[in-house]
Amino acid sequence: MNSKQSLGQRLKKGWDHGDIPMWLMLLPTIFFILVMSVYPFAWLIRYVFYDYNGFKAYFIGFDNFKRMVTDGIYWKSVLHTFEYAGLKLLFVLPLSLVTAVLLQRKRFGSGLIQGIYFLPTVISSAVYSLIWYFIFATYNGVLNGFLQAAGIIKQPIDWLGSSKTAMIAVVIVAVWGAFGNYMILLISGLTGIPSDVYESAEIDGANGIQTFFKITLPMLGPVLKVVIMLAITTAFKDYQSILVLTGGGPNNRTHVMFSYIFQMVFGTSAAAAQLQIGYGSVLSIVSALIVGIVTIIYLNFSKKMDDIS
Amino acid sequence: MAKERTGHSVESKKTKLINAGIFLLLVILAVFTVYPVIYIAFGSFKTNGELVGGGLNLIPRKFITDNYVQAWKMGNFSRYTVNSLVIGFGVMGVSLFVSSMAGYVFSRKEFRLKSLIYNAMVMFMFINVGSASLRPLFELAVKLHMNKSLLAIILISAGSGQATYVFLIHGFMNSIPKELDEAAKMDGCSFFGIYSRVILPVLKPALASVALLSFRGGWNEYILPLIFTMTNENLRPLTVGVVALQNAGDGAAAWNILFAGSAIAIVPIIIVYILASKQFMGGMTAGAVKG
Repeated sequence: MNSKQSLGQRLKKGWDHGDIPMWLMLLPTIFFILVMSVYPFAWLIRYVFYDYNGFKAYFIGFDNFKRMVTDGIYWKSVLHTFEYAGLKLLFVLPLSLVTAVLLQRKRFGSGLIQGIYFLPTVISSAVYSLIWYFIFATYNGVLNGFLQAAGIIKQPIDWLGSSKTAMIAVVIVAVWGAFGNYMILLISGLTGIPSDVYESAEIDGANGIQTFFKITLPMLGPVLKVVIMLAITTAFKDYQSILVLTGGGPNNRTHVMFSYIFQMVFGTSAAAAQLQIGYGSVLSIVSALIVGIVTIIYLNFSKKMDDIS
Repeated sequence: MAKERTGHSVESKKTKLINAGIFLLLVILAVFTVYPVIYIAFGSFKTNGELVGGGLNLIPRKFITDNYVQAWKMGNFSRYTVNSLVIGFGVMGVSLFVSSMAGYVFSRKEFRLKSLIYNAMVMFMFINVGSASLRPLFELAVKLHMNKSLLAIILISAGSGQATYVFLIHGFMNSIPKELDEAAKMDGCSFFGIYSRVILPVLKPALASVALLSFRGGWNEYILPLIFTMTNENLRPLTVGVVALQNAGDGAAAWNILFAGSAIAIVPIIIVYILASKQFMGGMTAGAVKG
């Protein structure tokens, strides 16, 4: 009786202080974290030790790990991931930085041009990859049509079907789809730089390039670091566009880690391949670790840059 | 303004030339960026013969609307469009509901598990196991018989995007003075009452950004609905429906329907973008850099 009353009182107090409503309001968020993040992660760790085809699961101990060590296609896909991410960043970061600096100052049409650069960001990457698939088509694609009309090539190039050009094509689409996003983030960083800094530089007679390296870049530092970090993590986990453009082909040339895993865990669209979910779980955890290590290396690197400057 | 004008008059011929060159480069890049969208928009009105024939003509030789009629009727695109709308608005509703409450609580309350919950969200944003994490969720949905409707897709899409939106709302909340809450509390508002009567109206700009970004997220979702609708074509959204045609039969034969389908999948979101481009870009920066 007594304890019940005190419970009732406690409930009342909790309600009045807003503690109970607070937890109720957080409930959906906590639910999502548990169901969408914690549960799948725990599930994957369990199936690391199983051979699982979607119907039956057999415990096989560490066989999946042994298989991974000798799986040449996977390790090639790891290399391709670095190649893809490296190439994408190599073009996307300078392009977004330069366009941000040029468009931050109001000039004729700068609002419209900004809007156009950002446009790919609002479209589904699956659909824009499909559009690029038409543009890259060998015989009726507009890219080969243009290059032939301009006399740059004689024979049509099989952009997505040849192992020499497929990665280039995939990177072109990735850069096209991403630079406007980072440009907008950098512009918001640039507007945070007070204008009197630029004015005093102008009085001191600094030219555009000097201003860029001596003022813009250092003062943009904190935002630039976040943007680079975002760009790195995104580049390493991209695979949606690749699935639509090449499906990892030709001959696995454009398979990145996560496109390879997708086909292990959900099968290819072409053939009802045997699912290998346990093995896919191993690969996905190892791949997540690889991305994690890259991120940590970058964070350490950017900290060191701070110490130097 | 006056300052700028004097600046221009001082400009030498050389700077003018450089500026013109820069402008030209920016325009060329803009043409390159917008070209695929214009190409698909015009191409969707071409005959299949003209599309398969290739060539550099942007404007259709013969302007036809038959591709859309065919896609709408035969290609099941009416169904796909409805599904895309349901997913888009569903994700938007769930995201607004969840993130506004969580952002409010995170900004206004101190409690023991706060940093744990917050850090868990940040951590799982960076731990990325790719599509493999959708396997357990798919099997869970099958067990709960939730794979026969769009509900599971909506919840998973909203759940995987929630961290960004919570950060966005949280950041905006921190700029709202706490005196506002206190005044409402004096007037007898409860913790939830302050949220629903005082905070939500003030949050409108941030809510608009979350609404736009989450609608876009739901509308553009591809891998998730692809997995959930592999055996159930009637639940497919536009993204999955149109890409599925790419592999159906001998691709080239259906280019006209593919073009019309792609246009149906991107034009609505582009119209939303044109109407609200400032909020789109603003929301993007608020969620990513300040979060």
